[in-house]
Amino acid sequence: MQKIILLVVAFLALIVFSGSLYTINEAEQAIVIQFGKPVGENITDAGLHFKLPFIQDVRKFDKRILEWDGDANEIPTKDNKYIFIDAFARWQISDPLEFYKSAKNENLAQSRLDDIIDGAVRDEVSGRVMNEIIRSTERTMLIYDTESTDGIIGKDAVEKYEETKIGARLDIIESIISSVTKKLKELNMGIEVVDVQLKRINYNRQVQEKVFNRMISEQNRIAEKYRAQGQGEKQGIMGLQTQKKKEILSDAYLKSQKIKGDADATAVKIYAETYGQSIEFFNFIRTLETYENTLDASTQLILSTDNPYLKYLNKK
Amino acid sequence: MAQGFEFKPGDFQVPNLPIKRIIIFIVAILVIVVLTSSFYTVNANENGVVLRFGKYLTTTEPGLHFKMPYGIDRVYPVEVAYQFKEEFGFRTASAGVRTRYSSNNFEEVSWMLTGDLNIAEVKWIVQYKIVDPVAYLFNVRNPLETIRDVSEATTRLIVGDRSFHEALQSERRSIADKVRVHMQLILDKYDSGISIQLVQLQDVHPPTPVADSFNEVNRAKQDQETAVNEAHQAYNKEIYRVQGDAQRMLNEAQGYAIERVNNAKGDVALFDAVLREYLKAPQITRDRMYLETMNKVLSKIENKVVVDAKLENILPLLNLDGKGGK
Repeated sequence: MQKIILLVVAFLALIVFSGSLYTINEAEQAIVIQFGKPVGENITDAGLHFKLPFIQDVRKFDKRILEWDGDANEIPTKDNKYIFIDAFARWQISDPLEFYKSAKNENLAQSRLDDIIDGAVRDEVSGRVMNEIIRSTERTMLIYDTESTDGIIGKDAVEKYEETKIGARLDIIESIISSVTKKLKELNMGIEVVDVQLKRINYNRQVQEKVFNRMISEQNRIAEKYRAQGQGEKQGIMGLQTQKKKEILSDAYLKSQKIKGDADATAVKIYAETYGQSIEFFNFIRTLETYENTLDASTQLILSTDNPYLKYLNKK
Repeated sequence: MAQGFEFKPGDFQVPNLPIKRIIIFIVAILVIVVLTSSFYTVNANENGVVLRFGKYLTTTEPGLHFKMPYGIDRVYPVEVAYQFKEEFGFRTASAGVRTRYSSNNFEEVSWMLTGDLNIAEVKWIVQYKIVDPVAYLFNVRNPLETIRDVSEATTRLIVGDRSFHEALQSERRSIADKVRVHMQLILDKYDSGISIQLVQLQDVHPPTPVADSFNEVNRAKQDQETAVNEAHQAYNKEIYRVQGDAQRMLNEAQGYAIERVNNAKGDVALFDAVLREYLKAPQITRDRMYLETMNKVLSKIENKVVVDAKLENILPLLNLDGKGGK
């Protein structure tokens, strides 16, 4: 009988012992609850822990960084552009005790974060102009300028650098984080925000359509410019062709006239040298040749008897 | 059937078995069970993270290892040597030699605003490794979603600071680089145990609704080149022809020159020869030549009128042979 009692006691002791032991792993943290009320400190060390059996209960919470992903919100910017902003955040249960008291569970915490983060994003974004939200630094961008087309001949569209001294995306994110941090501290929910980032920033549908139309018209203008440049270059080349043609032909004319002139001069010189030996004889035979060439059947010739040719006709 | 069935003493007789041997046998089986649940293997590209009662104990390399049984030690395998890849704005439909990509309805991810307030379609991949398996397991709850969120936010941040044309052309490489650095910065802030190995922009396009207008620009560039090429072609053709004309003109002039000089030389040679004869007997030659010419000339002329030199007036002129006039 004693043996049986001993066995029962040992068994009960085992139950009690096992009921007072619990483990917390590296991803967890916990609090101990006694009669519905949390007691003691936060348990954040991983490992084996003790509690009072039966009357104490353990609530475990995640110790890791948790995700928060809100819905995209349409927010007007300072320059009255309506944009959709989709933010995400990473947060942590920093104080399980407070968390248990005010938020109870993760779902409730998520919906509280919805309000806080959405509000902070809205506050920050609506006070900024579009450029500040999109840009993050002051770097100068290389953009294609399709407006000025005057008298420019080149292969590419005109390039110009746009100077903007605004770019505040990182500042905006920083402000959102500090604003959310501050609010969470005030609320004392046992939650800490690790990070907030702007995941997506988009125009609304109608504005997007307009942006596309603008892009299309810009491209069409660029296309037209290329075509016009092509035609312009073509005309230029055709003009150059006419110029070159005239240049070649006139040059050839000049040279050929010179060649001819030189030849004529040479001929004149040759004639003069030889004919000069007897000018009188030259005149004589040339005159005779002239007669032969100029007088033909149709010529009416009235010969005076004085003519030396007829000198024998008068002799009596 | 069971009625009247009764146990009789002696029915339950404990067989005379050797109790000691049975106990040894049971203990042996228990030892085997404990031993088998005390060993685990870590695969080649993995590390094993061991927790004892939930507390981190050690990280084990690939191979066979011992652990405490019955949940005292728990082992979490983590693929540390593996390059994970995430795709953004598209999905590999079937990888292989001819990789196909499906990109339907990825505009949500891929369309983003550029610094000059245009919209670009950007597709990219991120390759990452788990460098700290303990941090990876216990610091961030949903690492994959975190990587995706951070990657999207960062790519938009960097592209938002570039103009549309920079994103499409000159800045592509630097965008990818900056995204990698910035992503790492954020993931380190989370102490995520993840190292971003590579960010690569796959495709940067104008979005589909405006793509055609961009193609139109390319076509216009082609048209421009065509116009210029045609003009050059016409130019060359015409200039070659004109060069031929010019050469011809020059050649003809050369021909003229040669002819002119040769003719002169010929004429002169003839004159020279005649003159030499003439000088031998000038008067006779002169008269002979004169008469020969007159003979030739006058015999051709049909109307000849001989008028006396003493006649005062040339009128009345009579057409003596009556053949002239109309």
